[in-house]
Amino acid sequence: MNCEQAKTQMLGGTIPGENQGEEFAAHLASCETCRTESSRIGALWQSLDLLPVEEPSGKVRERFYEMLGAYRQGQASVTMPVKQAWPRMIWQVAAAAALLAVGLGIGYGVREDRSRPELVQLREEVASMRQLVALSLMQQQSASDRLRGVSWSYQVEPSDEEVMNQLVTTVNHDPNVNVRLAAVDALRPFTGSPATHLMARNAVIQALPKQTTPIVQVALIDFLAELKERNAAPELRRMVSDPDIDSGVRKRAEWALERMQ
Amino acid sequence: MSRVFSYVTVSTLVNTRDNVVMAEVGAGQVARLAVLFERHHRALFRYFVSMNGNREVAEDLVQEVFFRMLRYRTSYDPAQSFTAWMYQIARNAGVDQVRKRGSAQVVDIDSFVDRRAELVSASPGPEESVSRGQDLALLRRAMDRLPEDKREILVLSRFQGMKHEDIAEVLGCEVGTVKVRVYRAIRALEQIYFALEKEKAS
Ligand SMILES: [Zn+2]
Repeated sequence: MNCEQAKTQMLGGTIPGENQGEEFAAHLASCETCRTESSRIGALWQSLDLLPVEEPSGKVRERFYEMLGAYRQGQASVTMPVKQAWPRMIWQVAAAAALLAVGLGIGYGVREDRSRPELVQLREEVASMRQLVALSLMQQQSASDRLRGVSWSYQVEPSDEEVMNQLVTTVNHDPNVNVRLAAVDALRPFTGSPATHLMARNAVIQALPKQTTPIVQVALIDFLAELKERNAAPELRRMVSDPDIDSGVRKRAEWALERMQ
Repeated sequence: MSRVFSYVTVSTLVNTRDNVVMAEVGAGQVARLAVLFERHHRALFRYFVSMNGNREVAEDLVQEVFFRMLRYRTSYDPAQSFTAWMYQIARNAGVDQVRKRGSAQVVDIDSFVDRRAELVSASPGPEESVSRGQDLALLRRAMDRLPEDKREILVLSRFQGMKHEDIAEVLGCEVGTVKVRVYRAIRALEQIYFALEKEKAS
């Protein structure tokens, strides 16, 4: 063994499953330079072990189990019309292609071509899984699951119509006030996306007459005022003059109408 | 949080090999992914923190890795090392994250790394290491200054205790190349360490 070969063996013995061997030991015995170097970098190698270990917070586990639970429920209950119509084979090939891209040794900080179809594919598939989790949670029996589903909706692209429609359904029909309120807030990103903003705005206007709970009515009115949505004016005027509606809500509707001028 | 324990029993945590468990996940027992999560999420977190210096981003990335494992579970080949597969996914998630955040994040990481180095030097840790002839705070800073590819190979081989053949699979190179690269990385670390030591002394 020469010095060159010995260098690559210097860290061998400290890695599980690796062994430096007798040849290396023989070289060290006869070579002062390698002996010194080996003990020096060996010490440095050992001291890396003394660096403090960063521990993740408890949130990581919580989020993992939430995802897993939702995914399992989603497998059984949610249908994804377009994608499930594809033959299973195509998805497996696509996944294999994506993983091939992973295996090509793309390193940290390497700027690589945005147009690589495999990577685009991979991101799309991850996005569709987020959609699956959000949709499945929003359709659960328990209000706290549905609430989590609403917060998951922030992780999908705001151009995702299916998730937006589910949020609208939740705003209009969920029996739990907190879930309805959260869903109103979760519609905000969709009113900023070119693909969905018209639908989202219309959905908020149409939700207004369906609500009877004052706190949700106020949330919707504030939202419309913020959007300066003039198409909501007729409904707001009707509310102002409806004696059956809560007086606080009527005042809020009046305020919103002024803001829209 | 009772759900946590209904998925994982102590015996499955201890007894079954990773590649067998992942094959089960691939075959439809998705709850078994929890076993792999419990075994590997801390190491993955440490990998990401070492690579980008940001705890919050590292936590997001850990989540992303298990997300992708679930999504691509049917493509896992049990003949392949699970650890290698996991770090391939992890690297790819890291690359996507860097792209998503853009150059603004680079500034954040730098300032974070400096702050972290200060925190380390303020802690009582270094004293115990002085006796061993190494200053831990300095070592930490040297690690942070190491070029990413060198830092990565040290993190994988030293912190994660990965076998050279698994690292070769993750990085897409020969086992012999891994040995040479680990050696070069530790030498580069040594040089940066000494440079920082001189800086400190002057
Ligand atoms: Zn020699």
